[in-house]
Amino acid sequence: MKLFGALLVLFSSTAAGWLWGTMLRKRLKTLGDLRQVFQWLETEIGYNLFPLQEAFRRIGERLRGETSIITGVFVGFLNSVQGLTAEEAWRQTVQTCREKLVLAENDWKILEDFGCTLGTTDRSHQLKAIRESLERIKIQEEEAGKTMEKNEKLYRYLGTAAGTLVILLFY
Amino acid sequence: MVTNIGEVLTYLTPRIRRALEKVDGGFNRLEEIRLRAGKPLQVENGQVSALVTPEGSFTDRADRALQVREDEILRCLQLMGDNSFYTLEEEFKEGFITLPGGHRVGLAGECLVEKGRLLRIKKVTALNLRLAREAIGSSRRIIPFLVEGDRPLRAMIISPPQAGKTTLLRDIVRSFSNGEGIPSPVKVGLVDERGEIAGCFHGIPQMDVGIRTDVLNGCPKQDGIFLLLRSMSPQVIATDEIGRPEDLKVIEEILNAGVGFITTAHAWDTKDLILRPALGEIWDRGLVERVVILSRRYGSGTLEEIWDGKTKKPLPGVKPVRLGVRE
Repeated sequence: MKLFGALLVLFSSTAAGWLWGTMLRKRLKTLGDLRQVFQWLETEIGYNLFPLQEAFRRIGERLRGETSIITGVFVGFLNSVQGLTAEEAWRQTVQTCREKLVLAENDWKILEDFGCTLGTTDRSHQLKAIRESLERIKIQEEEAGKTMEKNEKLYRYLGTAAGTLVILLFY
Repeated sequence: MVTNIGEVLTYLTPRIRRALEKVDGGFNRLEEIRLRAGKPLQVENGQVSALVTPEGSFTDRADRALQVREDEILRCLQLMGDNSFYTLEEEFKEGFITLPGGHRVGLAGECLVEKGRLLRIKKVTALNLRLAREAIGSSRRIIPFLVEGDRPLRAMIISPPQAGKTTLLRDIVRSFSNGEGIPSPVKVGLVDERGEIAGCFHGIPQMDVGIRTDVLNGCPKQDGIFLLLRSMSPQVIATDEIGRPEDLKVIEEILNAGVGFITTAHAWDTKDLILRPALGEIWDRGLVERVVILSRRYGSGTLEEIWDGKTKKPLPGVKPVRLGVRE
């Protein structure tokens, strides 16, 4: 019985450590996807001059993986019968996606800030806002990359180690 | 092809939408809807101009009417602009947006000027939603006067504002293009500078302008006409609202190309026409062969007279009659 308990502790702490490590990796991936979204947005808005809905629909088609939820949800809100403004639709999109994507609080802040002037200014200003968000995301991505390199393995080992410690202490 | 007029309501905020849905005589009969920040909601339908209460009834008392808030104007504008103002830079300079269905939204407010030139309207505080209507077949009585044998003539429709010039022009274009009322159909080149004739939305005409019509949307008249003459070999050029000095050159060019021409201008009658700087010269030199005069006598789209530009006399056999424009 005791042994079973000990194994359980070891297993769950290892799993927790593993999960933490994986989340770091996921955040990096999501940030990479977001960088791609903003780069495409730069073309779709700055060069092609597509309206937001069209621009995001096109980007959503090209985007692979989890992050495409953002474009899908946003287009959905823009289309809704309530007649939301782009800012409102974006805010609700960020809220909806918070539970579904792995990002740090600072990363969400970038997305939130981006919504403030979305669609309500001229092309040069929209481009400025896109590029600014892009720069900020790149910085976050770099930071996330470093954190991952440093901590991914650490978290995983730490999980196992912490489990072992608990077992040693209480066995 | 033609969208339901009621779709326009989706561009308005819920409060205004509810009032207009219940408006006396039905939303479909309205011609203009005017929103001004902090002012009562106003609509126009034919000769009637009225304020609208939140319940949708007409009133002439401003205090009973629905007061449009400033934020509602911005919200309507965002909905009308597809939430993408960056696609409308030209529109903010020109002062109007075209909606699907060819409806036009006029803008007014605070302007941004640089070196004495208007850059754009930076803060919109008033919207004028003009509902576009087609009057298919309204040109039937007029078409026979606009051709000589099978040669389309150079013609101009003149009238005071809101007498249905553009609607008639659109139907003439459609008739020429489809070959209705003329010996053989003709290719029409339509330069729709303000997007009012074909009502293009993303480049596709929302109004029926006929099957042999090439539309240049949002293109300055002069550039557009030269472009069409060079590349699309039109037999008739159609364009809206001439009257600027440079338009004279455009008409001379069309004369050189030997194609037909149909346009509109603001003027009450031929006497008024002579007084206008460019229009007067066009008239004096006989550059237009027909002048169709509309009025609002029996409602908008009343045909008054058709003048011969060469003899400077009204053509016999034309009696004042309502053409059924804007019906």
